[in-house]
Amino acid sequence: TLRLICTTTPVQRKNVGASGPEKYTEAFIKKQIEEFNLGKRHLANMMGEDPETFTQEDIDRAIAYLFPSGLFDKQARPVMKHPTEIFPEQRKIQWGEDGRPFNFLFYTGKQSYYSLMHETYEKLLSVQKHQDQLIAQDLPLQKEKRNLAGSRWLTKIELEEMLLEKVSDDDYSRFIKLLQKLVALPCADIEENYIQKFSKEVPVQLQKVVIEPLQHDERGVAFSTGEGKRKTARATAVVYDNGTGKITVNGVDILHYFPVLQDREQLLFPFQFLGRIGKHDMVCTVSGGGRSAQAGAIRLASAKALRSFVTEKEVEFMRQAGLLTVDPRVKERKKPGQEGPRRKFTWKKR
Amino acid sequence: MAAPSAAGLGRRLRAWLPRIMPVRWSRYNPSYLEPEAKKESYQKPLEELTEEEREHMELKAVRPIKAAPPSLSSSVFSDPMISKFTNMMMKSGNKVLARSLMSQTLEAIKRKQLEKYHKAPENEKETIECNPYVIFHQALKNCQPIIGLSNITKGGKTYQVPIPLTDNRKRFLAMKWLIAECRENKHRRTLMPEKLSQELLLAFNNEGPVIKKKHVLHKMAEANRAYAHFRWW
Repeated sequence: TLRLICTTTPVQRKNVGASGPEKYTEAFIKKQIEEFNLGKRHLANMMGEDPETFTQEDIDRAIAYLFPSGLFDKQARPVMKHPTEIFPEQRKIQWGEDGRPFNFLFYTGKQSYYSLMHETYEKLLSVQKHQDQLIAQDLPLQKEKRNLAGSRWLTKIELEEMLLEKVSDDDYSRFIKLLQKLVALPCADIEENYIQKFSKEVPVQLQKVVIEPLQHDERGVAFSTGEGKRKTARATAVVYDNGTGKITVNGVDILHYFPVLQDREQLLFPFQFLGRIGKHDMVCTVSGGGRSAQAGAIRLASAKALRSFVTEKEVEFMRQAGLLTVDPRVKERKKPGQEGPRRKFTWKKR
Repeated sequence: MAAPSAAGLGRRLRAWLPRIMPVRWSRYNPSYLEPEAKKESYQKPLEELTEEEREHMELKAVRPIKAAPPSLSSSVFSDPMISKFTNMMMKSGNKVLARSLMSQTLEAIKRKQLEKYHKAPENEKETIECNPYVIFHQALKNCQPIIGLSNITKGGKTYQVPIPLTDNRKRFLAMKWLIAECRENKHRRTLMPEKLSQELLLAFNNEGPVIKKKHVLHKMAEANRAYAHFRWW
């Protein structure tokens, strides 16, 4: 007689990969939420705090205290959050008991994307019809221009989260073009509500950086400091008021430290832009980088220091002239299989 | 691999990474705008601006701006065309040498023009242009071709088809022809500034080998006029 010892025939083996990502049932999510709330109250009791007023920040602090972790990746550390944040939002089953899908576009594969495109195009057609009606009645078309500068469209990731399905780059750009076409029509104000679902406010004057007030040294002269960096160079600059326009770098005059005209031009750029060439004195220290990187670092440091001496409008002008942005360009790394960052090895036929 | 940089419009845009890394990419996020260094553009009152400029100004107030490169400055001596030309003349990153050659060229132009000015009779003195920057710009403008040729393969044969050129392409071709002309067709002992100033003055008066090259290109385009319909863009 043959004895079957622990063999899995292909029929019995379950193909785990083919079923796709785990599907969470509603009952499962509900249970997780109940467990979370219960666990929150237990944690509050453990920490000796009031269970009613235990916020998410308190939970994070408590977990960090009870389970200290030395792992570098923040996302690998122990986390206790509301289940809606941990389990990604998934679509419910798209078909009924008889197997027939609910949405008529189900068999396109991207049903929410195509239904969105259809809806937007319907709005476009209705706006055009309204426009034609106004022209037929000889009424003037409303020419109120929507302020495009204050808002931006949804990003691809935000759209994916809204539709709960993957959107490719091409599809996303098509959708944005359709929205732009809709907005460009004069009577688009009718569909303002619909358009607002897809646009987000951009705060005017990004990064309201706090401008430090002027400090005064022993002689009563006002001064301010700034730090700048470029590539590997780091610089600190101290700009004094009521000066003669002398600039000292690492204890040496700029004429000796920067023999090249281009670097000296860069140092004077912020002062020349504001028109304050002979009015300030500057003492800076710089280390690292090369000749041009050091000049760029000092330029950024002096521009940051000059912000305290100048009105807000002029700070905005300096920002638009590119004086207050850190230059993110660094040396590109060498890749394996190539001689340099871009240069490939000499191609030999054999 | 260094990824595109992150400052600006929030956490969502930070994750922007194209699926295939393009070869020409920059460390700035695509929403960053170019900086404007000229002081005069910031002192214009609001009424003088056109619609487009107003929109551009509003956009600039909201979007982040790239850092000004080291060749850009608000001083009267920095000129974007001259910096582009200096960069094209530069070999293996030796900007110091390229810049000194450029300044020697401008000085040579000034000297030649002043010599002509002092020798000329009274009535002709006003027609002689002494400003080397004006001469440089005018010479470049005279050297720019209007149409270019491109190779289009159709039915196995490659034809030279006349196509319109963008402004950037015209400027680039003019500068490249000038530099190539000065590097090749000169005596071994003549220095670059001398030869360049000579070429620029000839181009300013619509003479010289570079202008001839431009005319040759125009004639070729005129000769190949029959193939113009091969262009599909």
